[in-house]
Amino acid sequence: MARDVGLLPLAGIRVVEVGYAMAGPLTARYLAHFGADIVRVESCRKPDSLRVSHASWLSADIGPGVARDTMPLLNLSSAEKRSIVLEIDKPQGYAAFARIVATADVLVTNLSADAIPKLRLRYDDIKAIKPDVIYLATTAFGHDGPYRSFRTWGMNLCAVSGLDAMVGWPDRDPTGMGMSFPDYPTALIAVSAIVAALQRRRSTGAGAHLELPQFNISLNCAGASLVDAALGGTGYAARGHREAGAAPQGVYPARGEERWVAISVADDAMWAALCRVGGLGGLAGDPRFASAAGRAEHHDELDEALSSWTGRRTDWEAASELQEAGVAATPVLDSWDALGDPHLASRDFFQVAASSRFGADLVCRPAAVPSGTAAQVRRASPGMGEHTRQILRDAGLEEPAIEQLISGGVCAEMSEPGRRLRRPYLSWIGRLLRLPWPSP
Amino acid sequence: MSGLLDTLRVVDLSSGPLAYCGRMLADLGADVVLVEPPGGDAARRAPPVRELASGEKLSAVFAFTAAGKRSVTLDLARREGLDALARLLDRADAVITTAPPGIPQPPGPQVPGHQELAGRHPRLIIASITPYGLRGPRRGWRGSDLIAWASSGVMPAYGDPDRAPLAPRGGLALAAGALNAVMGIVLALEAREQTGRGQLLDISLQEAVLSVSLELSPVLAADNGVMAKRVGKRRPTPPMGQYRTRDGAVMIVAYTPWQWAALAEWIRAETGIDEATSDRYHGTPADRAPYAAQLDQWVEMLTSRYGKQEFAEEAQRRGVPVCPVNTLADVLHDPHLAATGGWAAVTSPGGSQVRLPAPPLSVDGAPLPAGAIPGIGEHNAEIIAGELGLGADDDAGGTGAGAA
Repeated sequence: MARDVGLLPLAGIRVVEVGYAMAGPLTARYLAHFGADIVRVESCRKPDSLRVSHASWLSADIGPGVARDTMPLLNLSSAEKRSIVLEIDKPQGYAAFARIVATADVLVTNLSADAIPKLRLRYDDIKAIKPDVIYLATTAFGHDGPYRSFRTWGMNLCAVSGLDAMVGWPDRDPTGMGMSFPDYPTALIAVSAIVAALQRRRSTGAGAHLELPQFNISLNCAGASLVDAALGGTGYAARGHREAGAAPQGVYPARGEERWVAISVADDAMWAALCRVGGLGGLAGDPRFASAAGRAEHHDELDEALSSWTGRRTDWEAASELQEAGVAATPVLDSWDALGDPHLASRDFFQVAASSRFGADLVCRPAAVPSGTAAQVRRASPGMGEHTRQILRDAGLEEPAIEQLISGGVCAEMSEPGRRLRRPYLSWIGRLLRLPWPSP
Repeated sequence: MSGLLDTLRVVDLSSGPLAYCGRMLADLGADVVLVEPPGGDAARRAPPVRELASGEKLSAVFAFTAAGKRSVTLDLARREGLDALARLLDRADAVITTAPPGIPQPPGPQVPGHQELAGRHPRLIIASITPYGLRGPRRGWRGSDLIAWASSGVMPAYGDPDRAPLAPRGGLALAAGALNAVMGIVLALEAREQTGRGQLLDISLQEAVLSVSLELSPVLAADNGVMAKRVGKRRPTPPMGQYRTRDGAVMIVAYTPWQWAALAEWIRAETGIDEATSDRYHGTPADRAPYAAQLDQWVEMLTSRYGKQEFAEEAQRRGVPVCPVNTLADVLHDPHLAATGGWAAVTSPGGSQVRLPAPPLSVDGAPLPAGAIPGIGEHNAEIIAGELGLGADDDAGGTGAGAA
């Protein structure tokens, strides 16, 4: 699989990640994609939530040491990294950790505001080891204020940020986001800030102390809605797909089971385009629909007309006809549609990368790849502790010291490193994805 | 100030919610010049538009995305305007465009396309954010926030099982596109530093949505062999989801065994249901799935005795991850945001104070400031005459005075 991977603009930068679940690990994953060397510090005592679960198809004879390398989400949060198991809450563990940090340019953590001081991971702690470190901590609510010790998962943050209450039908309780949304924009902003701080360090020599509370990131992602609410706007209760300034907008049934078409009409020009589509011409002369305000007011009638039109077509027929006329529309893709989407395939979005546990594994590339840089994902997630020995050696530890850390339970290595597993979808996914999968 | 991107110069040709990209760069210290047509960016009139106490009318989308930018008006339908744009781009590091590819333009002078821009300004970073990107069979397709979610493969998991799929609201797909572009621009700067060459950044909103919903990724469905299905307001692995309170709902995610144990003990103590603490329910949320109906009912017996904020605070005291399900109006009154500087006040073009969520990043102990919302062509004089060296005769701004 030797390919010209393109420029790795962060080659030569070393990052230490003390992360959990998504926001911290994903930040480091992006940095890794662009060439940084990531030392992912993992713990057996308090493992990453993605190391506690395992692939749903795993048979019972596979022990926990191997099972912890099997969650497919690990490939999305931790591709391209090196992994060390190092218990930094033990004194010898922290001493080894300090040796590693001393060789690093960046430290990223998303541990909780309570854990950071306990584990001596505050900026001042790290700066004492590495004076010009670029330090980034992302906590749920920051280090001050009434919620500073609140325990949260991403789903809790969606709720408190107002994102959940906007999703649902007007006649029912909101259904909410149903996922840990804030982690993802957090990683995007974190990478931007870290790389910008590295550029600043090049000219000034100074490190940086970066703090990103995820609550505030959620609010900024829905920033315009909050500004409007602060100005007296009230249109933010759950009301399906209705949105100020877009009418009609909705998801309409197409022919077949669980097939849908999403349609968004942004303005009068797009409305005129919709009225030119064969079978929808009858809407053109209707005075109720002549203005955006009228279309918003009579949205139920529009929904009925559009549903009856989409219901007589397949999702792709309906969306293609609408797009040809200049109307924003798409089939509602499901997971299989997305995996087999020729558009995503033409852009090499889903890829196969080398994997130490699976030989090769399914990954996707970042959505932001500058033209001259590497678009290819080179390695999937490491096994837990796969690089323990190598990382300790890099930090200057001698073999006896390394042996002592491992035998004392301060460090651990990858379980059964020679044991290869095979994902059950390998038999069919290559055909769907049209990806070259190396033979095992 | 923060100094993170103080030397970065950005020309912003985007409009609407995607203009959050330039806004974030401005927060990080970049000089971002918003190029508007002589009558002003259409986003200034984008609904909903509110009337301030002073009588000034303001679009929230524009207010939020334009804060901290400088504004110059250029008439790009005229040769003079395009010449001024070319000069502006000569001095810039990056340009942000949201013009969809393959959509015919009116006759007359043409705003340069991406290839032309790259040819004329070889060191320029060109950041494009479009519904499906600049390459691929659907590159010319139109989009929106909803269309991006619908294109991503994650939407069938959203909403109630007996109705059409839902999607997140509040413009989150567009925010994802904007923030991917911010990251790409900063990485492109690094690549340019090493190669001396400009870079094209081709952000597709379809992919941006996939980048902000990894736990619903098709990659996971492939491994499970089944797709995530719509489950409504709670997952079938309790307690995980929304539960009603006296005044709304709370979001409970009791994921670890000890978080469940703390919640079960609270149920037992307040409702007298001793069985709640039974070993049968001990373990992970998946272990409790067979008992979901019973457990959800007990949890709601407890939550319905409280207000949502009150319940969340008591639950947190007991070590259970709970937050209130806030409306945006609740968020505006949130005590934590009030205590921690969660809001910024910026000046509108008419001189009013407008409230924004504060920039979400602090650098070296100082929160990033948010800048003022510029008036139409507010910086024409300093940019057109001062920085581009064009005289009033050039009339690049189409305002009748060039540098008004």
